[in-house]
Amino acid sequence: MKSLACVRIESDLAVVAAGEADKATARRVDEHVSRCESCRTLLASYRNVEAATAALRERPVDRPLLARSRERLEAGLADLRHRIVHYAIFPSPLGNVLVARSEMGVILVEYLRGAPHWPAQLTAQGLEPIEDHDGLSTLRKDFAAYLAGRSRRLEWPVDLRLARSDFQRSVLEATAAVPYGAVVSYKRIAREVGRPEAVRAVAQALRHNPIAIAIPCHRVIGTEGALVGYSGGKTALKEKLLSMEGVPIERERKDYRIVQRSTYLLEPGDHEYCLPTCPSKAKVPAGVSTWFGSRERAEAAGYRPCTTCRPDLHPLPSRSAP
Amino acid sequence: MSVVTDDAFTQLVAEHHAEIFRYLMRVTGRPSDADDLSQETFLRAFRARASQNSCEPRAWLFTIATNLIKNHFRAQKRRRRAHDALRERVPSGPDRDGEFSGRDVGEVVERIVAGLPLKQRLAFVQRKVHGFEYEVIAQNLRCSPESARANVFQATKKIRRALDGHSADRKEAP
Repeated sequence: MKSLACVRIESDLAVVAAGEADKATARRVDEHVSRCESCRTLLASYRNVEAATAALRERPVDRPLLARSRERLEAGLADLRHRIVHYAIFPSPLGNVLVARSEMGVILVEYLRGAPHWPAQLTAQGLEPIEDHDGLSTLRKDFAAYLAGRSRRLEWPVDLRLARSDFQRSVLEATAAVPYGAVVSYKRIAREVGRPEAVRAVAQALRHNPIAIAIPCHRVIGTEGALVGYSGGKTALKEKLLSMEGVPIERERKDYRIVQRSTYLLEPGDHEYCLPTCPSKAKVPAGVSTWFGSRERAEAAGYRPCTTCRPDLHPLPSRSAP
Repeated sequence: MSVVTDDAFTQLVAEHHAEIFRYLMRVTGRPSDADDLSQETFLRAFRARASQNSCEPRAWLFTIATNLIKNHFRAQKRRRRAHDALRERVPSGPDRDGEFSGRDVGEVVERIVAGLPLKQRLAFVQRKVHGFEYEVIAQNLRCSPESARANVFQATKKIRRALDGHSADRKEAP
């Protein structure tokens, strides 16, 4: 039968054996074991535990097993990196806009009006959305500068993983090439992607553009210059963006259209932009030109004034200079 | 707030994967669990890295691993798989014929540790193998430092008894 003193001192014996005792504890233990043989033996046992624990610390781990686990982890992390998308909601004059980016680039830009369908859209693709305001601060600044007209382009790398088909992907890529301050028709994009008959399909593909604004589907309009079908009936947003980019727009009752007489024209494959009245353009079919809201925008996109109609000498009256 | 960047995370994996794996191996006693839970520890850490505000990434990883271990054993219990698990898991304490002899002492202790109650096992391994302070262990196990200390002592006491029994067996062996 142990004495009460022996019972009480046992935890101190473990502390002393582990080398963690303060001076008072060490002294108390010393005094006790000097007159108690069983506790002296117990202290030796605890020292034995410490020695055995040191052996446990040094026990080698199965190296091939560890290496396989590390390899599996690296693969798992690469997969996760690919699936994670960071997002934030940017308040803007166009309303709240959700911007999400993956490791490859911006993957989703969506106007948040009505019921948002983006979370389902992301998770259905096996993606993992994570809210991250700090991580998107640069994008937020770019976006604000663009909407305030301080920046002419959103040079964001894009991730087209949410494209629904190869056709949509090619439509989005062709649309991404339409410069700031310019508009083209759905018909023109259909030609660009090698499916001239698929005008309606192009319109559908752009209606479901996952990366609004950054892939400028607002710069794609009807063959006759009407601002039709933007992101589910938000034609007014399209008008706002194009006006901000300096494209002249007029309103006829509820409909908006570009003012063709006030835009400069560029034919596919041409390097010179023209006045809408240029005689060299008489035979060009309707709806395949690029319309520029101003000479500055045409020249910023790398085009020269036509040497026949000389838009540089006879500029159009500017309706809304950028 | 310290944000763990992608590069910093790669560094974190390089520095801590082996230690986390060892920790899981010692606490679960099963290589397949150590593998699965170490994957999950780092994948969770990666997801949460933007909001990681602990200044000590090593303790942060141990906290994630510990929570996973607890969930793992809870789920295992729930699924009544204990019996199957025990068969695969290394046995605790000496076997019937006192077969500790011939094994190195580290292996003997490993087997004893594997048989400890979970909280004691976690506290003991964190303290004695990985050298954490009691305050850190307490945070990790969501208890007071006194409770962490008491768990380590209880574990040490049980190991001491098992080792004493073991050496007594060895003395008696012909």
